[in-house]
Amino acid sequence: MEGFKHLIDVLAKPTILVTFTFVIFFFIFPPSDWFDKWHRRLKFDALWGKKSLIIITGLLIAFFVFGLGDPDFRSIVLKPDNVPISGLIFLVFFFTWLSMSQAYKNDELQEAGKPVDEHYDAPNDKVLVWPDLVYVELISLVLCSAFFLLWSIGLAAPLEEPANPSESPNPAKAPWYFLGLQEMLVYFDPWMAGVVLPSLIILGLMAIPYLDNNPEGAGYYSYKNRKLSIAIFMFGWLVLWVLLIVIGTFLRGPNWNFFGPFEYWDSHKVEALTNVNLSEFIYVKWMGTGLPGNILLREIWGIIITLGYFMVLPPLLAKTWLKDMYAKLGVARYSIFIVLIISALTLPIKMYLRWMFNLKYIISIPEYFFNF
Amino acid sequence: MAEKKNLLQRLAEGQIWTSIFRGGGVPKSRRQRMMVVLNSVFLHLHPVRLPKHAVKLKFTWCMGGLSFFIFLILTISGILLMFYYRPTIEYAYTDIIDLAEQVPFGIMREIHRWGAHAMVITVWLHMFRVFMTGSYKPPREFNWAIGVVLLLLTLLLSFTGYLLPWDQLAIWAIAVGSNMARATPFLGHEGPGAALLAIGDINFVTVASDVRFALIGGRFLGEATLLRFYVLHCIGLPFVIMIFMAVHFWRIRKDGGISTPV
Amino acid sequence: MPEATEKKTATIAPSSPPPAALGKADDGSGVTRRSFFSWISIGWLAFVTATGGFFTMMLRFFFPNVLFEPIQTFRAGSPDEYQAGEVDLRWKGKFGVWIVRDDEGIYALSTVCTHLGCTPNWLAAEQKFKCPCHGSGFRKTGINFEGPAPRPLERYRIVLADDGQIIVDKTKKYQQEKGQWGDPEAFLKV
Ligand code: HEM
Ligand code: FES
Repeated sequence: MEGFKHLIDVLAKPTILVTFTFVIFFFIFPPSDWFDKWHRRLKFDALWGKKSLIIITGLLIAFFVFGLGDPDFRSIVLKPDNVPISGLIFLVFFFTWLSMSQAYKNDELQEAGKPVDEHYDAPNDKVLVWPDLVYVELISLVLCSAFFLLWSIGLAAPLEEPANPSESPNPAKAPWYFLGLQEMLVYFDPWMAGVVLPSLIILGLMAIPYLDNNPEGAGYYSYKNRKLSIAIFMFGWLVLWVLLIVIGTFLRGPNWNFFGPFEYWDSHKVEALTNVNLSEFIYVKWMGTGLPGNILLREIWGIIITLGYFMVLPPLLAKTWLKDMYAKLGVARYSIFIVLIISALTLPIKMYLRWMFNLKYIISIPEYFFNF
Repeated sequence: MAEKKNLLQRLAEGQIWTSIFRGGGVPKSRRQRMMVVLNSVFLHLHPVRLPKHAVKLKFTWCMGGLSFFIFLILTISGILLMFYYRPTIEYAYTDIIDLAEQVPFGIMREIHRWGAHAMVITVWLHMFRVFMTGSYKPPREFNWAIGVVLLLLTLLLSFTGYLLPWDQLAIWAIAVGSNMARATPFLGHEGPGAALLAIGDINFVTVASDVRFALIGGRFLGEATLLRFYVLHCIGLPFVIMIFMAVHFWRIRKDGGISTPV
Repeated sequence: MPEATEKKTATIAPSSPPPAALGKADDGSGVTRRSFFSWISIGWLAFVTATGGFFTMMLRFFFPNVLFEPIQTFRAGSPDEYQAGEVDLRWKGKFGVWIVRDDEGIYALSTVCTHLGCTPNWLAAEQKFKCPCHGSGFRKTGINFEGPAPRPLERYRIVLADDGQIIVDKTKKYQQEKGQWGDPEAFLKV
């Protein structure tokens, strides 16, 4: 029993959890034919069958029930504000399954040359709103009200001690839906994590319909014809959004250290985290000359790398690896798309640089509040 | 009296009932049923007829509808909370306690808080559904963009409400959140580029003139912050989100109703 | 498409006078084509100015002229109340200041984390300030060495009053990365 808990604690380490997710992710949601081949060979397509729904839901429930026996797990999962996030895990899994299983079914129907499940024969297949829709709405409404009433009677809303501006609680967390942002704050300066990246997320979401110029799959669930866009969206939504929230909620403890789900939240856990800037790496560690006084000279390497990443990489990719995509999207769409994608990728890149080299900033000009 | 009518039928054919619900009688014929929808300002939000998959739960998951319904629950419970809650540092915290302990049926705050959490989740899942059915594709691009604004507004509503209990959870979440504004490029006094907006020694973007100041109404979290967030939470943002919802619903109809395969 | 072009020419043609007519009254009302355009631009300009002014007014509305905020200067007792090598926590709650004394003198550190403004905790055992929000760590001097904080803690102006008491003035701050810690009032020699 303890051995199992320990195993889970180890697996939940962000380095392992995130790496595992990254490696396996595109085999589950294949973005291209090559991945799709392996997706089917590895039998991941079975995930969207009825059997897996039952098995995985069962396993999730079993895990929570088993976990509740553990005092550390219990105290974190049953914290009132965390309850919705446990719910979120189940809901996200269920609805991912629901959409993917319908998508796969439709893909098969299309392959067999039949109309998709949502196909309808206008105007014969129309139904009347009264009563066919209003009664569905009425039932949802009543069930939803009953659900909130029960939830509210059963679980008191949290209220902590009165505000005290001189004593931060430990850990101090943002509201749960912003914990993904708070996780980014560990790796980025606030102007990036708090302002630029969120704005890019909002703008990027708004841009989706204008960037995705594939007319296929409008108005019904499907996967086969929209592989790349669905895979990218799923990565953003399941990994960079939901997973980061789950990590921030359940695995971040006192002093913002990582704790496994069964680990005691010890506020004196010591973690050596001496972070180094790129300039210090180059001038102090490798060249041994000490930091130059001139800011531009000091940060020139970081600036070159960053400019290269944002200015040279996109055209390079357009000529080589992403040639087909470039042809399909055109200059304007491609440029916006690739800038959004490589901006999003800075997050995992900086995560790994931090974990492997304790690298803090690539460009660090605190004199002008500019750190990247 | 040739035929004996029961009470319900008599009521449904009486003057009062028919004056309210035009058409009269229990809607049985196809025409009558269509008229029910057409004659009601509320039901008129819907079209009269729908493709059959659109009423299936497995297609829409009813998530947009639930988001709207939860928004209504939040509006009602929020108005009720406003009868007791006073947005001052002196009273805010104790009023929250009183809401649970001194007020009959003291679960209004619970309904409001859990509702807020649930709305965030339903809006996310709604977005997910719309993506998976490809319903953002032409002609619905603009409505998707409106949807993203709705998502943002939902989060902002949640965030401004989080401060109001004025407990430890509240002020530290807001402290961290509002300090991000401090780092806004050019507009925050610790943001990159802010130092460029200066003439000689005079800085224009300072701790007392940046976006963070506008948000929290001072250099530190305090009375002014609570009041600003209160006004935004109870009036400003709900007003804006209602306008966007109206456009969202209008556009669903104008874009040809719920999306269908072509 | 051809339909649209046809329409365009059809509507424009009658209303566009020959070039010779430019600047002359063409309908007897005294409004020339040129003056009409200048009226239009004046109108638009007025409209834009008015709207701009209105929005500026609304924006300015959010920045009051007077702030009701706590006093920023306080007396912190006499220097010998502080032990060398210790971080003094007594003003943390009320004023948000740590007073630290080392072998050379005394300085006043701000308790506001330079990351996002949480209040770090002094961990005496590890001789560091540790921020609970995202894990930044600062040495006793205020220098940041771990976590996301981009720069050291700020120091406040610290001077001696005539009666020998320490005065800490939070309206003036000194930042290490700007080389200000060497300033005479950033540090109290004892
Ligand atoms: C306050 C939040 C929102 C409310 C109350 C709301 C409400 C609704 C409702 C009732 C529908 C009808 C179909 C359904 O229930 O699925 C709908 C459709 C739609 N929503 Fe939303 N929505 C919200 C947020 C969003 C967001 C965040 C997005 C996307 C980013 C979005 C994009 C759309 C689109 C594109 C449609 C048309 C779908 C179709 O034709 O199949 N909405 N919305
Ligand atoms: S506020 Fe101190 S580490 Fe983020």
